[in-house]
Amino acid sequence: MIKNIINNFKRYSFLIKQLVSRDFKVKYKRSVLGILWSLLYPVLMMAVMALVFSQMFKFKVEGVNYLVYLMTGLVMFNYFSEATNIAMTSVVTNFSLMTKVYLPKYIFPLSKCLFTGINFLLTLIPLLFIILFTGSGETKCVINVYYLLLPYIFICLFLFSLGISFIISTVSVFFRDMFYIYGIITTIWNYFTPVFYDISMLTPGLQSLFKFNPLFMFIDSARQIILHATPPSVSMLISCGVVSIVTVIIGAAIFKHKQDKFIYYI
Amino acid sequence: MSIVKANNVSMKFDLGIDKGFSFKMLFISLFDPRKRKKKEYFWALKDVDFDIEKGEVVGIIGSNGAGKSTLLKVISGVMKPSKGKITVNGVLSPMIELGAGFDVELTARENIYLNGAVLGYSEKFLNDKFAEIVEFSELEEFLDVPIKNFSSGMTAKLAFSISTIVNPEVLIVDEILSVGDIKFQEKSKNKMMDMIRGGTTVLYVSHSLQAIKDICTKVIWLEHGKVVMIGKTEEVCNKYYEFQMGKKEAI
Repeated sequence: MIKNIINNFKRYSFLIKQLVSRDFKVKYKRSVLGILWSLLYPVLMMAVMALVFSQMFKFKVEGVNYLVYLMTGLVMFNYFSEATNIAMTSVVTNFSLMTKVYLPKYIFPLSKCLFTGINFLLTLIPLLFIILFTGSGETKCVINVYYLLLPYIFICLFLFSLGISFIISTVSVFFRDMFYIYGIITTIWNYFTPVFYDISMLTPGLQSLFKFNPLFMFIDSARQIILHATPPSVSMLISCGVVSIVTVIIGAAIFKHKQDKFIYYI
Repeated sequence: MSIVKANNVSMKFDLGIDKGFSFKMLFISLFDPRKRKKKEYFWALKDVDFDIEKGEVVGIIGSNGAGKSTLLKVISGVMKPSKGKITVNGVLSPMIELGAGFDVELTARENIYLNGAVLGYSEKFLNDKFAEIVEFSELEEFLDVPIKNFSSGMTAKLAFSISTIVNPEVLIVDEILSVGDIKFQEKSKNKMMDMIRGGTTVLYVSHSLQAIKDICTKVIWLEHGKVVMIGKTEEVCNKYYEFQMGKKEAI
């Protein structure tokens, strides 16, 4: 079965590449700065968030560089919310294509998650600058050997987002109200994930509950490495992997089960 | 060995889907049983059975809404039949609607790659055939123009050139030979005849009996989703013509 999946993947990898590059070309067509926006946009957004949370609201997290704390969470959560949101609509917006030629339908959510993934990688550049040039003394972050674990965490984040994308893009075909509902869900999810606050601000009951939030697991692991230069516990790393793989399997199973019916719901 | 085989293929559409489920209707149906959703089905294809041998050129005819396009979509894999089975033993190139996946914001050059990828071509194949595609489309000067600025004829020429660059074992054609100007029409017809001579199996949908008689060796006549007749081109076309004309007189 796995061999089949890989072969299928190989066969359509060129199409995925084309769809991703199409997204880039179309997105920045006619804009003066073009692809530079992929870099500039997150930088400006980060600047605004930094100003609002650390200067206006005076948010702090004990013993760490708050700016890095905030940005790490923000960049990762934004990847999830952006990827899942555009992947959700990708199936419906490509209906006209699906009725013309045979294509494996998983290509659409997958290519959107990859497209957002490339944007995510670009946002790591400004994040790196923040890590290198802010903070002082105790809160100064250092690049350390555990950074080698970061790709693993990011892959978990990607797989988790992909799994969720499969589920919600399937649901949205049959139930278009999902487009609006999911916007609300991501907003709630945003506040329920300690992105700009510290989990220790919450009551112990909520804390233990929030720890089951997969996004928090990914973000917290990355923060451990970046802020404290210590590796996340092995059990944490395993949980991240398990959660993301289970999500992607469940998502793919739901998507596969329902994909032949998509065409009736155009 | 047959290259395309249909075994009791049926295709059912649920006409109620568009009315869909909404709270308003749920509420109304609570008080008025007559408004409750009825199951409405439409059989676009019903127990369609046929065999196509390698190298045959098969015409598909029938009135509007007879199920011709649905049949092509089922064969090309866009839709899965509700019942029955379709087997295709070979590489298939669907030319049902040209230019699938064209993005009007992109240039012709970019669209050749995008559309080629959608049709399942590899990167290497496209690189090799790029010049040939461009030459056939006669659009050398406009390669770097976004196709939103193309006329519909230009877009169609480009699309035709991309989708006929392969030598598929099965070619599915839905009334597309009337693309472009007279010169291009001749060229595209020749291209298709070349493919037929090369042994490609063709499924061809057209309302023009003349075009069918010109190229087809066999004809399938569909009406209301059912096969009325399968047989020699002359015979089926004549019967079909009589049927169509008779219908008109009856009205």
